[in-house]
Amino acid sequence: MSRLALRKKVRTDLRQRVQSLLPGLVIPTLLLSLWFFFNSRSILPAPGAVLDVLLDPSADLLSCGSLFWNTGVSLIRVLLGLSIAIMLGTPIGFLMGASNRFRHFTSLITELARPLSPIALLPLSIIIFKDTSFTEVLGLNHLKYSRNILNELQIGMIFILAWGGIFPVILETMHGVRGVRKVYIEAARVLGAGRMFIFKHVLFPASLPDIFAGYRMAVGRCWMVIIAAEMLPGTNSGIGYMLRYSYQLSRLDVMLACIFIIAVIGLVFSRGLELLGEKWLLLRARER
Amino acid sequence: MSLAFIKLEKSYSAPSGKSFKVLGPIDLTVKNGEFVCLLGPTGCGKTTLLRIISGLEQADSGKINRGAGRLGYVFQQGALFPWMNIESNVMFPLKATGMAGSLCRLKAEEILDLVGLYEFRKSFPHELSGGMQQRTALARGLVTGPDLLLLDEPFASLDTRTGINLQEMLRNLCRKLSTTVIFVTHNIEEAVYLSDRIVVMGHRPGRIVRDESLSLEWPRNRLSSTFTEVLLSFRQTFEELVDLSISS
Repeated sequence: MSRLALRKKVRTDLRQRVQSLLPGLVIPTLLLSLWFFFNSRSILPAPGAVLDVLLDPSADLLSCGSLFWNTGVSLIRVLLGLSIAIMLGTPIGFLMGASNRFRHFTSLITELARPLSPIALLPLSIIIFKDTSFTEVLGLNHLKYSRNILNELQIGMIFILAWGGIFPVILETMHGVRGVRKVYIEAARVLGAGRMFIFKHVLFPASLPDIFAGYRMAVGRCWMVIIAAEMLPGTNSGIGYMLRYSYQLSRLDVMLACIFIIAVIGLVFSRGLELLGEKWLLLRARER
Repeated sequence: MSLAFIKLEKSYSAPSGKSFKVLGPIDLTVKNGEFVCLLGPTGCGKTTLLRIISGLEQADSGKINRGAGRLGYVFQQGALFPWMNIESNVMFPLKATGMAGSLCRLKAEEILDLVGLYEFRKSFPHELSGGMQQRTALARGLVTGPDLLLLDEPFASLDTRTGINLQEMLRNLCRKLSTTVIFVTHNIEEAVYLSDRIVVMGHRPGRIVRDESLSLEWPRNRLSSTFTEVLLSFRQTFEELVDLSISS
């Protein structure tokens, strides 16, 4: 393809993509303009005030840190909890899918624990873990009274995030492994593959799309859990904390800015992972 | 690899608790290098027999004497791994036995060349036609240079022309590699075209009703009178079998 034609193709691709996005923008635009035009009669702050907050994300707000700082704290908490959920949940789910004995051994406890909201465990985890943060765990006590991200990563908080994320990972992985077509396993067996080889080269790649779906669900859940958890006692940082604190101080401009950020990050998480899944062509493992 | 069954029997238990006898007793001896077709109507237990030989299922009673050696297996619908490209699919049995990567690739390329898929080695199964997929499955079954190749209706889902091409290819490859072959099919013409020997199975329970070595010469001509004669004689056996199963 010539360079010109290529450029043309890229341009039409871009145009098509933009065009497909346009219908989705109708309702948000409508809502925004309603807010803009009828603002004087509402209890909400003017859109401009919220925009001001959003446009200066590194400014200290309500003396509890900037938007950047608090968003960062929440994100790092989620990332940590999520990685624990993934690292523990994937092998557990995999074994539950691959071995009937292991599934019978663990299914009751997972069925009992799964519907238990992580938020319900927050008070208990504060009692158990107190406000122990990573600073203490890593033995960096001299950092305890400085402003440091490690101080904000409380073990109890990470624990309930891992709790919230681990069950989607376990269940989806288990379903994925159990759903692998029997003929693939039999084919591998008659072609001379041993148990470990089948685990690695058949069961795992065949269930990868489901495992990935589990990760996506886990990310979504963790993001919801962290916001709720930060609004409760046990921390004084994070975007959820900022949301509640701005409410207490009746700073609705900050509150709306927080809500906006939470929504956008949620969108980025779910769409981003979706695109990543397609990029890796994990869908290839699906039956066509 | 030579193979012998002695009084092989197999039953399944239905969900109702009743037990169904699907096989046997079956006595059969296959000589080294022989190309045997197991021919029979659907549900006569020929696939079960194949699965017992390969070790995917156990017989209830009786004995199988199987010589030592490598096994190749080709499934009805290919059962190619959709997440692997053609080359990786073909390399799978080699890697499973712990062969080094570069040697695996060399062997895979060699066999892919033989089945005419060398240019497609980086494609994925869903990107190929049904015939090409089955050729890949053949290559995967043959890549280890097996002493015994088991095929379960490998060409049943293909159109006639493609099927005939693949039959020829299979026959040539097996002669070249002097593999013992057990080929399961319900297609009489396919059986007569391919085999040194045809074993016709009847059902309820699966048993051998006719066992005959073919004296047809190579290359076989589907339009010759001797070919048609043999074909007709097997068709007759088949018709009788089906009549029997309807009246019973």
